[in-house]
Amino acid sequence: MAEEIDFDAILGKYHSDPYDYIEICATHTGRVSFKVTEGSNVNSPSGEWLHIPGSPLFEITRERNPKLVTAKTNGTISSVRTELEGQFVEAGERLLTIRHPLKKKEVIEGILKEVLYLFPAPERAKYFFSLDIQSRIEKNGARTLTVKPGDEIIIMSLMKRDTPIYYTGETGVIHSVYFTPGVSVDQGQPLIGVCASDKLPLIQKIITRVKADWDKLIEPAHLEEE
Amino acid sequence: MTAINCPTPASLQEYLWKHELPNRRQKNPQPPSPEKIIRYGAIIGSVMQCHSSMGRAMEQARQHIVNLEEAGGSAASGTVILADTLIHSKGRFARTWHAPPGGLWGCIILADTFMPRARTLLPLALGVACCEAVRDLGAKKACVRWVNDVLVSGQKIGGFLVESFRSPRYGEGYHLLGFGININNNCFPETLANMAVSLSHTLGKPVNLHDFTLSFLAKMTWNIGLLCYEEEQELHCDCSWKDSGNSEEQKNHLLLEQWKNLSDTLGRRVLYGYDIQKKPQYEARVTGIRPDGAIVMRLDDGNQIIEHSGELQYL
Repeated sequence: MAEEIDFDAILGKYHSDPYDYIEICATHTGRVSFKVTEGSNVNSPSGEWLHIPGSPLFEITRERNPKLVTAKTNGTISSVRTELEGQFVEAGERLLTIRHPLKKKEVIEGILKEVLYLFPAPERAKYFFSLDIQSRIEKNGARTLTVKPGDEIIIMSLMKRDTPIYYTGETGVIHSVYFTPGVSVDQGQPLIGVCASDKLPLIQKIITRVKADWDKLIEPAHLEEE
Repeated sequence: MTAINCPTPASLQEYLWKHELPNRRQKNPQPPSPEKIIRYGAIIGSVMQCHSSMGRAMEQARQHIVNLEEAGGSAASGTVILADTLIHSKGRFARTWHAPPGGLWGCIILADTFMPRARTLLPLALGVACCEAVRDLGAKKACVRWVNDVLVSGQKIGGFLVESFRSPRYGEGYHLLGFGININNNCFPETLANMAVSLSHTLGKPVNLHDFTLSFLAKMTWNIGLLCYEEEQELHCDCSWKDSGNSEEQKNHLLLEQWKNLSDTLGRRVLYGYDIQKKPQYEARVTGIRPDGAIVMRLDDGNQIIEHSGELQYL
């Protein structure tokens, strides 16, 4: 957890380049065929249940089984490795990059992720707080709740198998909750963000500063994309 | 007070060799050999505890593990805990589960030695075993509804839940497989009257609970054996199910194949919800089941949706 935050440096970084660059890699070995070119705009999944796939990015074929890979985030294709078109690639090979315009909330979350301990999802599953934690959150709010290593905090639900998840990070209060009960979370994605209770004023300062400086921080053209 | 339903490891062994093995030989003439599958699942019922009454079987299982560890030991994988009646039983999301005398109520303790795919498919084994046992007795209309509810003509005869548990002293991982099957208990609370049914009501005659228990545990032996056998196959080939990009490439899993044979979920129009009683989410048609047990559905707008967890209600 960072002790000192250089606000000007962090905000300056977002001011000069308010985008996230997401590298898309081959999901498995196979022959690749691109569906986008540099400069193409792509959309993220949509629909009430996020069931409408995002824009097609590429198709990868292994043993005559084609698999279409779609965008998980919106943005513009900033680079495509066109030299790999029609070629056989290994799993993990970088294929293209999406330039994703950051929203205010994402900038705040991005900065917070540098100062919070992020507790990741162990598997793609649905998650909910354990009954004890849930009742304490409902009573007093998450930010009054201290968690320490070994605490049973979350239940992972997968195929009607409920597994208690024990907290393994630094002792602190739950500042951010990144999951919604009943909605699947991918493996490795953060479930909660925890910080030491004495860091809470610092966190609040970050949020206040980003909100206050937002209009100066982001160019008008970018704001239109909000 | 002595338990009425009190099978022993020896009686289960006898049932396996006298009844289950010949049946499986007849139904499965192709390899793998039924002897091998039963041997792989033979931990089931290696220890049996029978109680006339208890609070919750899952809690009893946890306490059993804790007590053994405090005494320097550890719980035997495959331990079966049975009770003639449960006083504080509950289903998922703290729902009421009525467990009076006459039903089969209990829990199986399994050490968490499974690989990821077997762990994911573990809950299916309970539904498949129950459906097989119920059908063997003549309830041919019994079917499994994803994930593992067993229904007869739309009414629930058996319900299951799996909870993982880490022991406090040694940090060992266990899976607690809870089961509740309505056998001779024909009276249900008003709230469950239209949703639940007993096996004896379905068959129109009383059922020998002891024999049914042995049959269910024998089928659990078989289905856990299938999970272990498939793990062995997975270890012997370099095709990791999780790394595969296309589900079509993957070899059929024997437990999943049996689930498909017994389930009436595929092709059905359903209402889906994570907690369907509290928050039903959407209607869709079930189009398939993936190798990891996830259900594939098509929404009315033509788009596909995949769920790894949640509940269905048939429409």
